[in-house]
Formats: sequence, C-alpha cells, structure tokens
Amino acid sequence: MRLVSLRLETHSLAPVLRVGAYGAFGLIILVFAVAAPTFLSFGNLANVLQQSAILGLLAFGLTIVVIGGGGNVVQGGIDLSLAANLGLSAAIYATLIKNGQSDLLAVAATLAAGLAVGALNAVAVVWLRILPLLATLAVSKIVNGLEFVLTQNSVVTASSPFLTWLSDVGPFGVPIMAYALVLVTLVVLPAVQSTPGGLRLHAIGAHPEAARAAGLPLSLYIAGSYLVSGILGALAGVLSAAYLTGSSPGSADILLSVVVAALLGVVFSRRLVPTIGGTLLSVLFIGLLANGFQLVNISSYWINGVQGVLILFVVACTTLGRREAAA
Amino acid sequence: MNRLSRYGVVAALVVLFVAFSLASPTFLTFANLKSVVVNHFAILSLVSLGMTLVVATGGIDLSIGASVDMASLAYIEVLTQNGSPALAVAAGLVGAAVVGAFNGVLIAGLRVPPFLATLGTLFIAQSVQQLFTDGGTPIYLIAGPPRPIFSLVEMARLWLVGGGILATFLLFGASVFGRRVLALGVGPAVARYSGLPARRDVAAVMVNAALLAGVAGIILSSSVRSYAPLSGNAYLLDAIGATFLGTTFSAHGRANVAGTLLGVLLLSIVKNGLLLVGVSFYWQQVGDGALIFLVLALSFSSRRSQ
Repeated sequence: MRLVSLRLETHSLAPVLRVGAYGAFGLIILVFAVAAPTFLSFGNLANVLQQSAILGLLAFGLTIVVIGGGGNVVQGGIDLSLAANLGLSAAIYATLIKNGQSDLLAVAATLAAGLAVGALNAVAVVWLRILPLLATLAVSKIVNGLEFVLTQNSVVTASSPFLTWLSDVGPFGVPIMAYALVLVTLVVLPAVQSTPGGLRLHAIGAHPEAARAAGLPLSLYIAGSYLVSGILGALAGVLSAAYLTGSSPGSADILLSVVVAALLGVVFSRRLVPTIGGTLLSVLFIGLLANGFQLVNISSYWINGVQGVLILFVVACTTLGRREAAA
Repeated sequence: MNRLSRYGVVAALVVLFVAFSLASPTFLTFANLKSVVVNHFAILSLVSLGMTLVVATGGIDLSIGASVDMASLAYIEVLTQNGSPALAVAAGLVGAAVVGAFNGVLIAGLRVPPFLATLGTLFIAQSVQQLFTDGGTPIYLIAGPPRPIFSLVEMARLWLVGGGILATFLLFGASVFGRRVLALGVGPAVARYSGLPARRDVAAVMVNAALLAGVAGIILSSSVRSYAPLSGNAYLLDAIGATFLGTTFSAHGRANVAGTLLGVLLLSIVKNGLLLVGVSFYWQQVGDGALIFLVLALSFSSRRSQ
C-alpha cells in the first residue's frame, strides 16, 4: 500500500514526471491567463496566496508527518486530525475573543490546544503504537467533539484588533495572510529540507531500520512531527478565525484537500518524495485552479471533480511511467 | 499476539454492555436493542463489510461513502421519474457498481495506489452529486403518492443485512475467491508469482465492496424517503474504524468479518448508550472518540508488549 513508490530505481523517471507536473501547472496557468485577463494580475495572485494560506499550513503539517512516517498510508505516518484541529483552534480563539479576552491570551490558548492535539497523536502513535491512520482518526473524533461542545455546533462571531489586522491588506496591497503563508514557508521549508534535524526526519521515514542502526532516536522525531503538525493546525485555526471573523462548523470538509495537497506534492519533488516545496506548489496549484474557475465563471461544483481527475491523472502517469521504466 | 489484545474489542463490548445496562434502565430492553440494530448497526455493517473486503486485499476504499451516495441518488432519481421499483433498485445497484468498477480500473488497470485512486473517485463522485443536485439540494420523496417499495425495503432490511453478512462470511470462509483475496492481502508478490489472477480479483473486490455499500444506500434512502447529497461520507470514518478495530480480533492482525461486526457493534452501542445515559449530544462525540481511543490503546499497546 505504498502511496508513491520511493524505490531507487524509479529515480531515472523522476525528471520526466517533474517536467510533466510543472508542464501541467504551466499549461493551466496559461489557459486561465488567456481566458481571464485579470488572472495573472498582481492583485489576483495575492488573493490566491491569501486563500491558500490555511490549506498551506495544514498541508505542511501533514507533509511533515508523512515525511517522518514514510509513504505507507496504513503503517506509515498520516494525520487525519488536522481538519478537526483547525476547527477546534478557530473555535477556541473565537470563543475567547467573544468573552472579552485579549488576543495574546487567545493566541497562547489556541497554540496550547494545537500542541495538546499533537501530543495526544504522538502518545497514541509512538508510545501506544496505534496505527497512525486509526489513532489520528480517533483523536479527530475527540477534537471534533470538543469543538461541538465549545460552540454547540453554531457560528461564533468574533473580531479583535489582531484578527482585523490579519484579514486586512498589508504593504504593497498584498493581504497579510499571504505574507503569513510566505513567512511560515520561509521557516518550515529550510527547517525540514536543509537542517540536520529535517534531514534526519527524511531518513527516518525513508529507511527506518537504517536510521535506527545509525542511532537516531526515532520515537522523538516521529513524536516531534506530530507536535509540529498540531502547532501548524492551530496556526491555521488562527488564520481561519481571521478569515471567517470567528469560527463556523464544518471545518472537516478541508481534510481531503489537505491530503491531496500533501500527496500530489510528491510529483513536484526531484526524487518523488514528500517535500515542503512540492506541497507548497500543489497547494498553489489547487488555489490557482479554484481561483481560475471562479474568474472564468465555471460552477465551483466542478472543482472537486477536476481535483479528483488531476490526482488520478498525475498518479496514473507516475505508475505507468514507472512500469515502462521497469520493463 | 496475546489474549488481551485479541479480545480487547470483546472485553470492551462486555464492559460497555454491563455499564450501560446498569446506568440506564432502557438500555437492556428489546425495543432499544432493536433500535441499535436497525438504526446504527444495519447500514454501518454493510458499508464496513465492503471496507473489510478491500482492506483484506491490502487496499483501502475512501470512496465507499460515495458508493452509498451514488446508489441512493440513482434509486431515488428513478423513483422520482416514476420508474418501477425494480428498476429503481437495479439503478441503485448499478450506480454503486459504476463507482466500484471505476476504482477497479484505476487500481487493477492503471495500477494507481488504492488510497489515491479511491480518493480521486471520491472527489469526482462529489462533483457529480453537486452538479446533479444544483450544489447539494436533497431530493425528498416524503410527500406524494405512497411508495410501497420503501416499506418493503424497510421490512426486508434486516434480511438484507443478514444476507450481506452471510455472503461475506461464506466468501472468506468457504470460497476459492475468498482464499485468493486473503492471499493477495498477505503476500501480493507471492500471489502474483503463484499465477493467481490478482488484478481481476482486486477489481472484483472493489465492485463487490461498492455493491455492499450500494445496498446500504438503498436501505438508507428507503428509511429516510429521500436522497441527501454527500451523506455517505459520514460512514467512511466509522467503517474504517470498525474494520481496523476488527483487525485486532484476528490472530494475525488481518481484516476479518467477525472482527468487523464486533467493531460495528461497539461503535453502535457506544452511540446508543451515551445517548441513553443522558450525555449531551455534543459530549457524545467526545465520548465516542475517547472510548474508541481507549479500545485501540488497549489492543495495540498489549500487542507490543509481547
């Protein structure tokens, strides 16, 4: 049940795929640019960046967990609690603000909640050895339930100076949330792709036995990946509270898009492995697609289907190409 | 694997059964137990058995809820157009089978990994439903002329569920196809080298799983007398949960029919019990998750200590 094979012999194929993936990316941008003149305008691209911020943060979280757990969905790493975490975090933030608490306290409480969700996942996966798929599924039920309890399944409106600032437009007419995505990327990308810790996480996911033999503390790194994922979920919750001026039920809907973004990102990487850069590209890809559809007035009901076809197309190409390479 | 791990689900069931019986006088009444079976167990068990088939081959079906939906959509749509009940049921089954066949082509034909293939199918099925219903407007057949097919399906549903259970039991326990499916899950490479028709079997499993979910969709639509878009997804996570809870019941940690049914029973009893004990609706969700978490912790951590 490997998601995408990470075997060495596939590497000769990777450049072709990568060109194909970038080509598809470029083609879609081109089509929309011709169909809708405003598509490539600076303002519109900034909007896409803003609208991709929440998905981006969540997809980074999932990518980190997948990197540490390896590409096997059932035995390896996956975090299905991210969407529920987003919902609970936004609900906590909105409820605290509504009850007259300060932004500082709200941010602290939200981050603490996200960290707690991550810690619960870590305990379940690393120490109790529950399959990540199941562990994070159970945790997402609990977290989702806590959001229910907190909000009684209703919309909580909240506005505060910080939330207003977050949803506002910043320097050069670019929304602050677009800057937030860029900032988080600037922190997470080098941390995961270039620091010794990040590289060790890659090693643990790809070759756990070798990593263990080399003396790496596997449990610590894997637990850490769930904690980071929890924090990213909470940060996404803060952004969501700003974007929706409060919290509203139904955050679970984003989960599948998060999974798609993290998995599709694999084809953008040089060795067909999950990377933060690849995930960022696929998040922007999904964002541009949704935005382009809006601009050329195609019903948004098509978006899911096109996303589905896209995943299947990309993955089918990957597997077909691999078979030819093996033959 | 030791006993605590293997019988964790059974132990949890017994403990919960006793606890709920003590906490609520209505729990252990025939009427209530019947409602557990009819309202929770019936539909989830069919969907979970479909998932069990797929997981037994080493795959997963994220579009199992979409099969429920497509069956429900086709069934209700034919009834809306005043088609005959038999045609409606057939359309429902075909609707589900199309989802399964699509998965089969992707997984067996194009060799797309099951997780991604069924995720893609799920997305496409969501779009189809949204486009068909103008963004998600349910189709109600509550008013209008009486439709005997609804009452007929309602009367027959426990038989249908029983039939589904029996069929999957026999399939795994007494059919060559079932043995091949298990072989595929345990050692896909060995199965292939032994000359088993692995790809055809995987495709057949995807279609059969979708058909089981399709029967669930027809039962669901008959009892609520309507089709609500995207409602099948509610069963996805529970079906995964039940199937994998069930794997702890097998000596080898494999998906199995008895284990899955115990898992479904556990999830159903927890939902019903928490309601009866008077836990607020919102806390029920937390309790639900926490209990499942505990059972998983019990099963998996004792498995490690061996």
